[in-house]
Amino acid sequence: MLQLVVGQLLNGVIVGTLYAIIALGVTLTFGITGIVNFALGAFMMLGAYITWYLTDGIGIPYPLAVPLAVLCVALLGLAVDQALFRFTRNNLINGLIVSIGLISVLVAIVLMIWTTTPQSMHYVLPGIFRIGGVIVPKMKAVVFIVLLLVILLTYASLTRTWAGRAAYAYAQNPEAAALMGVRTGVLQAGVAAYSTALAGLGGALYASLYSIAPEIGASYILKGVEAAILAGIGSVVGSLVGGIIIGVAEGVGSIFLPSAYNDAYGLVFLVLILLFKPAGLFGSKS
Amino acid sequence: MKITVGLRKVLFCALGAVACAGVASAQNVVKIGEIEAQTGALNTYGWMSSQGMRMAVAEINKAGGFEVGGKKYTLQLINPDTQGNPQQALIDLKKMLEQDKVKYVFGPFLTNVFKGIEGYARQHNGQFLLMGGATQIHYELGKKGNDYLMRTWNWDAGASGFGTLMVDYLKQKGVKKVAMLMQNDAFGHVAADIYSKLFKQAGIEFQENWFAPGTKDYSAVLAKIAAWQPDYLFPGYSDAVLYDIVQQATQLGLTKFWLVRGSLGPALKNKNYIDDYVAYIPKYFEDAQKTEPKVKQFIADYKKFYKTDKFPYDQAPLCSSSCYDHVFMLVEAFKRAGTVDDVAKVRQALESFTYDGLWKTRYDKTGEEVINFDIVDVKRGGKITVTHESPK
Amino acid sequence: MKSYLLWLPLFLLPLVVHDNVVLTVLVFSFILGILAVSFNLIFGFAGQLSLFHAAAFGLSAYATYLSMVHWSIPFWLGMVVGVVFVALVSVVIGAICFRFKLKEFYFAIVTLAFSEIARLVILNWNSFTNGSLGINFTVTPTLWVPGHGVIPVQGTVMWYYLTLVAVVLTVIVCSRIVHSWMGRCFASIRLNDELADTLGINVFRYKLISFVVGNAGAAVAGSLYAFYISFIDPDYLSINQSLAIIAMALLGGRSSVAAPVVGAFVLTALPHVINVNAEARLLIYGLILILTILLMPRGLVGSLMRLRRAA
Repeated sequence: MLQLVVGQLLNGVIVGTLYAIIALGVTLTFGITGIVNFALGAFMMLGAYITWYLTDGIGIPYPLAVPLAVLCVALLGLAVDQALFRFTRNNLINGLIVSIGLISVLVAIVLMIWTTTPQSMHYVLPGIFRIGGVIVPKMKAVVFIVLLLVILLTYASLTRTWAGRAAYAYAQNPEAAALMGVRTGVLQAGVAAYSTALAGLGGALYASLYSIAPEIGASYILKGVEAAILAGIGSVVGSLVGGIIIGVAEGVGSIFLPSAYNDAYGLVFLVLILLFKPAGLFGSKS
Repeated sequence: MKITVGLRKVLFCALGAVACAGVASAQNVVKIGEIEAQTGALNTYGWMSSQGMRMAVAEINKAGGFEVGGKKYTLQLINPDTQGNPQQALIDLKKMLEQDKVKYVFGPFLTNVFKGIEGYARQHNGQFLLMGGATQIHYELGKKGNDYLMRTWNWDAGASGFGTLMVDYLKQKGVKKVAMLMQNDAFGHVAADIYSKLFKQAGIEFQENWFAPGTKDYSAVLAKIAAWQPDYLFPGYSDAVLYDIVQQATQLGLTKFWLVRGSLGPALKNKNYIDDYVAYIPKYFEDAQKTEPKVKQFIADYKKFYKTDKFPYDQAPLCSSSCYDHVFMLVEAFKRAGTVDDVAKVRQALESFTYDGLWKTRYDKTGEEVINFDIVDVKRGGKITVTHESPK
Repeated sequence: MKSYLLWLPLFLLPLVVHDNVVLTVLVFSFILGILAVSFNLIFGFAGQLSLFHAAAFGLSAYATYLSMVHWSIPFWLGMVVGVVFVALVSVVIGAICFRFKLKEFYFAIVTLAFSEIARLVILNWNSFTNGSLGINFTVTPTLWVPGHGVIPVQGTVMWYYLTLVAVVLTVIVCSRIVHSWMGRCFASIRLNDELADTLGINVFRYKLISFVVGNAGAAVAGSLYAFYISFIDPDYLSINQSLAIIAMALLGGRSSVAAPVVGAFVLTALPHVINVNAEARLLIYGLILILTILLMPRGLVGSLMRLRRAA
């Protein structure tokens, strides 16, 4: 039993970082552009498909395909931001609906190119680590490390670099930041593209763990949004913790409770935390 | 006030469009309809059906159509996408039956869609035929007022049921414990209902486990299952979940699988990690293309028709339901019945012969399809044995 | 009051149009119209983005049917049970959310969480709700019609009038609320609820009222929808349903009471009007949503009104 719990704790943490990378995108986009981009899930799906196509379709090695896919998704994210989301800045509802429309568009494009058949990429790194009685697939460990590094690097660059501090300042007080010489338009476009790049990275790594289908984005964006809210929107480290809480709640929850309710365990946590800390775990506002 | 004038304009424009969409019909055309989900989360089944349906209609028309009672006919296919939504399916069916006057409708494969249209379809009993694969249709066959209904898929249980044969196959291997890990949706529950009984009859211990549709990481529930130490795992019913379940199960030491819907793809991908993978496959296309000229031709035609060099081997077995063969079989029934209008006669004709196409297809006396199928057994390393079954 | 007369053409329509398909599309549009109009009371007027609407719709559908079966009561009483049940649930959820002052996106996500929990309970409570298989029913609602006595509600025309009356009543009730002092409280909360609070408006009370009344509207829609299609399953409560409702309200226009009905109609008819393959249709659907927001932020009705004013 202990083995089972420890195993799921570990697995929950790993799965949670995948939620966290989406949550980070949600948090950053919301902090800087004032909208919640539900299409980040679809960008993640696109990242997964492009990675799969580059490796299994064209034959580019996986470590090279990942940055290429991330780049493609980021460029697309930038284009979409300039063409659509630029007009919905700070309008939560309009941004939400545009992003929902965008999901349909992206899914339709994927369906046209790759049809509905689920795809499964070749195994990049098969095999497992066995630590005590606990089993961790090797690739999952790699994905965890990469995602953790990216999230921590994002945190570091937000606090240590000029551009990062400009973004932080903007999120706190847009007018003051603009007066201090922060170029709003560039900053917003940059953050929007970076957020989609994160989603693309999530997708590229996802493809090495699970099979891909045009619908995969839907549940991940929900989990990502849950994680971001749970942690308190605007907090980078919070999105990591939020993602891990949801991942662990699901994993450990399904051991003791019926697995059919899997999705509810994270939600119950979310509601409870918001009731006692309405701004989220790491939120600053009371 | 102004609002409503605007509203009326919109209403009438759109109404006009709805009304006009279904006019235009030529003479000597037999319209056939199809109600399947071509997009959406549950489209795997409907998608392949609609692919095969289009091909069959194009081939028949290209050959100049067919002759019944001295008259030449061509086919016209009306196949809207229900997206798995009962409301859309209901409107689509009404449009087919009332505007387009379609008398032969294929589909649906999805239980919720069938239930959504069932009430309306029954009102048109005797005026059309609905030939679908949904499991739920089985329970409605032969009931009073259901002469419109036929089922285009082998039934799992019963004397000629493939499920019974599949369970027997497992019993012969001396299996004692089977754990099921199933989607918590309509078909999942039907499958649990059927197979819990079949396994009980066979004296095999059976455990049910559920997961929410859309799940990708099964490690928690699989770890729980592994602790129970079953001989075989009976996982989900579509490739979208099978790839993940098989991979993650092998990582946890569960290496034997048995399934009644789904492809061999997951087994072949994980061939170095599985010990045994027994699957019901209506036709093992990879193998059949070498031995059956018709299958080889179908694959070539498919590639040409859809201008692709990739044939969907994974999904092609689903063509055994309301797909390619069934259109040809229907045309054959028209010829035998000597009519394209009298649905009762056409149904009688459909039930009177065995059609020899990609499959040997016939309908039993309740209007349920019986086809020959394959049981495919994949061993570690990818060695495949195929057992051909022809139910009585 | 005069504007209500403009519903008249819709009452006369079945005399001219006999096409069952067109009428069916309209029946669905009216029922979903009730859903969208009542949602817009919470969203467009009180300014709260609730994602509980599909859950209210579905819970009522189940409550109506199950109460009819277990207590052998007629449809209309069952509908009352559905509405009361949803209202009670809404009071609890609304009280929690508004007492803890959850705002904007936080409110949206918490209502979504409750909605998902409700869906999962319905989905997994197999013995009571028949789980994912859903329930087919054979019961037909009955109605007292002057001159005919009590007759079963059957056939598209009868459903057409029933649902048309229901949507008109919903619009009347909602516009009564919106155009009263209560509506002005809603507006002040929507524009700035902190300011409304300092002005002495009981923000908690009016947010709760809009939430409960709106969900009660969804409950009426849920009962009607279930009995029109004679089938319920847990998909009634899905997130996609909630998103579709938002799209209807926005497409029609969020600033007028009746406009969401237009949105409901367009989105219901659209899949049956665009005659292209499935993938292309998904693409078009997405583009319509995007372009409506970017080019017509007031929705179809709002934009048409502006055009008229400009002309």
